[in-house]
Amino acid sequence: MNNLTLLDGAMGTMLQAAGLGLGERPEIFGTQHPEILEQIQRSYVDAGSNIIYANTFGANAHKLAGTGHGVEELVSKNVAIAKKAAAGRAKVALDVGPIGELMEPLGTLSFEDAYAIYSEMVQAGERAGADLVVFETMTDLYEVKAAVLAAREQTNLPIWVTMSFEATGRTFTGTTVASMAATLDGLDVAAMGINCSLGPEEIYPLIVEMRKWTDKPIIVKPNAGLPDPATGGYDMDEAEFARQMAKFPELGVSILGGCCGSTPDFIAALSGLTDAAEDIRSERKRGVCSASHMTDFDGVRVIGERINPTGKKRFQQALRERDFNYIMERAIEQQDAGADILDINVGLPGIDEAEMMVQVVKAVQSVVSLPLQIDSSDPEAIEAGLRACNGRAIVNSVNAEQDKLDGILPIVKKYGAAVVGLTMDKSGIPQTAEARFAMAEKILENAMKHGIPKEDVLIDCLTLTISAQQEQAVETLKAVRMVHEKLGLHCVLGVSNISFGLPERNNITTSFLTQAMYCGLDLPIINPNLKPIMDTVVSYRALSGEDANCEAYIERFANVEPEQKSSAAPKEMTVETAVLKGLKQETADLTEQLLETMSELDVINQKLIPALDLVGEKYEKQQIFLPQLINSANAACAGFDLIKLRIAKRGGESVSKGKIIMATVEGDIHDIGKNIVRVVLENYGYQVIDLGRDVPVQKVVDAAIAEDVRLIGLSALMTTTVDSMRRTIEALRKSGHDCKVMVGGAVLTADYAEEIGADFYTKDAKASVDVAKKVLG
Amino acid sequence: MEARLTRLNYNEILMYLGHRGQECPAELEGQIHRCIEEVMKASDPRLVYRRLPVSNGEIKGFPLEGKDMPEILLHCQEAVLLAVTLGPRIEQLLMRREVTDMADAVIMDSCASTAIENVCDHFEFDLREQLERDGLYLTDRFSPGYGDLPLHTQVRLCEALNTTRRIGLTVTPNYIMIPRKSVTAIMGISDRPQKLRKRGCEVCSMFLTCPYRKEGGSCHE
Repeated sequence: MNNLTLLDGAMGTMLQAAGLGLGERPEIFGTQHPEILEQIQRSYVDAGSNIIYANTFGANAHKLAGTGHGVEELVSKNVAIAKKAAAGRAKVALDVGPIGELMEPLGTLSFEDAYAIYSEMVQAGERAGADLVVFETMTDLYEVKAAVLAAREQTNLPIWVTMSFEATGRTFTGTTVASMAATLDGLDVAAMGINCSLGPEEIYPLIVEMRKWTDKPIIVKPNAGLPDPATGGYDMDEAEFARQMAKFPELGVSILGGCCGSTPDFIAALSGLTDAAEDIRSERKRGVCSASHMTDFDGVRVIGERINPTGKKRFQQALRERDFNYIMERAIEQQDAGADILDINVGLPGIDEAEMMVQVVKAVQSVVSLPLQIDSSDPEAIEAGLRACNGRAIVNSVNAEQDKLDGILPIVKKYGAAVVGLTMDKSGIPQTAEARFAMAEKILENAMKHGIPKEDVLIDCLTLTISAQQEQAVETLKAVRMVHEKLGLHCVLGVSNISFGLPERNNITTSFLTQAMYCGLDLPIINPNLKPIMDTVVSYRALSGEDANCEAYIERFANVEPEQKSSAAPKEMTVETAVLKGLKQETADLTEQLLETMSELDVINQKLIPALDLVGEKYEKQQIFLPQLINSANAACAGFDLIKLRIAKRGGESVSKGKIIMATVEGDIHDIGKNIVRVVLENYGYQVIDLGRDVPVQKVVDAAIAEDVRLIGLSALMTTTVDSMRRTIEALRKSGHDCKVMVGGAVLTADYAEEIGADFYTKDAKASVDVAKKVLG
Repeated sequence: MEARLTRLNYNEILMYLGHRGQECPAELEGQIHRCIEEVMKASDPRLVYRRLPVSNGEIKGFPLEGKDMPEILLHCQEAVLLAVTLGPRIEQLLMRREVTDMADAVIMDSCASTAIENVCDHFEFDLREQLERDGLYLTDRFSPGYGDLPLHTQVRLCEALNTTRRIGLTVTPNYIMIPRKSVTAIMGISDRPQKLRKRGCEVCSMFLTCPYRKEGGSCHE
């Protein structure tokens, strides 16, 4: 008897050999043939399995829909059979696989629905007497998070998770080994590892990587090699399997089993392996991540500060109007500019911060792969943000006030986040470095008491404005150095505040940034879109040696062309021509010129819209085709954005010819058509409330009433979802809200539109503008 | 057989974009070529297939609705169930580009549609070649939604091929495949040469949504 924990081998292949038909549900088959199932499971126990998996892999509400069988029924029966087979000689795990539907943002299954589906299963499993729950063959880290939280919050079962990777080290949905390990380590599962997907040899390097990111026990449950692509069969024998598996105990991996193609003989062969070595990590890495991208804490990492309404009129307007596209653009811009982490702050009076935090987190992570920093002082908004976040986040922030520490640190611990600690308390920001250092110590002590590792405590020594408190700059720098050197903690600092109120701020900001990094600042919160600031970071990395061989520095600066100060547009070009040709920069430049002599509204009505009308006409006459139409809309958009920004800065009302709701109906996710229409309508000066895709019927009705919208645009691409469109129209009519509905989408026709009760059929974006003009003027 | 993706058919991309012979300025051509490159980089084509026995036009253990498929399989001894996907990265690329540059997004969407057809065509070509060496012949490729083969067949095809586990392909309750740039199809294998239908609307993946067909025409007039 050694210290290895042996799991079982394949179930599916064994059941197929015993008569399971094509596409038949193993969970139902098992309850119909309990003797076959029990015999298979007993053979694993006989072979030496210490833990066997109940035949419950796909027994979730989504997969069982329409089968006439329920979750409770199949889970309890299959767990009972496993317990009978184990007969006290082995433990029984509730086996839980992926739901079988892809989650948001790529799919339509929401995080909350996934949580509910898993809750039902794990509760049934606990009632049935399972000893633990294993989530296996998972490929989506977001789904795993929903599953782990369901098991954590709804049961007392120990939680194990194994995911399936390709040889590239990524799952089908792009989750990396590092992201999985760091996220699950944070969520404090009992064990994690890899199953299915590959043979032991191919999994080995992935396990080596996984061990760098977690101290948890590791599970390896590989296939019997790689399948023959034509037959799907496996040809590795148990001796070869055991030979390849022998390398894992040497690494310290002690939980072993088999997946597809393995049999009880394979498990028996594993029982001959020698003891696992002591599980010591030679290298332990840490960081924060999204599912597909890890930002480690091994150097200067830029936290982008632009998703924040403070002092930004245009951003405030976007939040109030729920214009998530504007926010997503800010996210993409910062990633492109070189940010490593994005700060998310949505605090604005009159806005439900927790609800908005969830929406913004989901919107941002649908378009960028960077890890997030949830920025709020409201524990409810922090928890909502952490929950919605896919991966491992930072919480910004706690301070040294005891009630803040007591309120927020448990949330940080529960979701396995890192946390920013501000060196201040109720009495304000201490004036000396020593006093700030003392507060850092207090924050660290409290964090560790809550089980948050030291490496995840990030201290912000706070930047004060030199135009107001000049002597404080050196105190801040000194405090950073003390925290970095004496406590060995990572340091965060909102840098740009230093130069507030001074001319040519970048001079001061970049100089302070350099000094702070030299003192130990490694997580500066900055605006990465400002080139001089990012230049400073890139230069610092070259000087510190972090940028080996100055590669990144050379890449950034080797081919820099001198900046062109003059307008991109040739003198003779008009804004109409620029729009027609789809030239963004030129349109923006020419709009700016026009604004010197014309009012914003005149530029829109006399220049931009007539130009778009001309484009629309050419499109209708088939003189130009779709990409040209959109290029023109994009160009006009550049002009329009400029105008919006000017008006917002002035604090004026937004230019709007009226509000229009756009939605891709419930069940449908094809929203490219809707998005084209949105862009074109916006350029005609309409305020489009874009509800996104897969929009529930009631949400459209609620938004129409709440915002008092007179024109609703619905899009559906599938024959199967046109019915959602019909239901949405019906609900709008029933609500009594006075509005017109225009519909569009590939499968629709004018007749069909009439049949489902729409007021207008719009065959393309141009047609929708005509409708908007008719309805809203 | 591996999933193969090769150079995209430029005219097919234009066709998806609704091009009807308009002049295509050089900048636009450049934009399309740039989009093609990005789509090729973001594509991770994967496929899974399975051969099953057929008798009297029925696939064993996989009954099908409609008349078209049994007719195609009438003189076949085997059928091939196929699922192909370009993977999720292309979806992510499209979502992102829809925020920053809608024109790029529209062009890339068309490129991706062309790309998935490209992978299917290669599979069909490779399989046809392999079969012909054994004196066997392949029928046309037929997908759920073509002719009278119902769209919901997609769900069962994905289950039978275990696509979630094998290639990361799932189907929503509304029969939308995710990742969206994916195809499922059925083909017959026979010991006698198969009359291939002229490539036309009935065997086209755009059957349900084609703008040309909606206007009463077709793309191949």
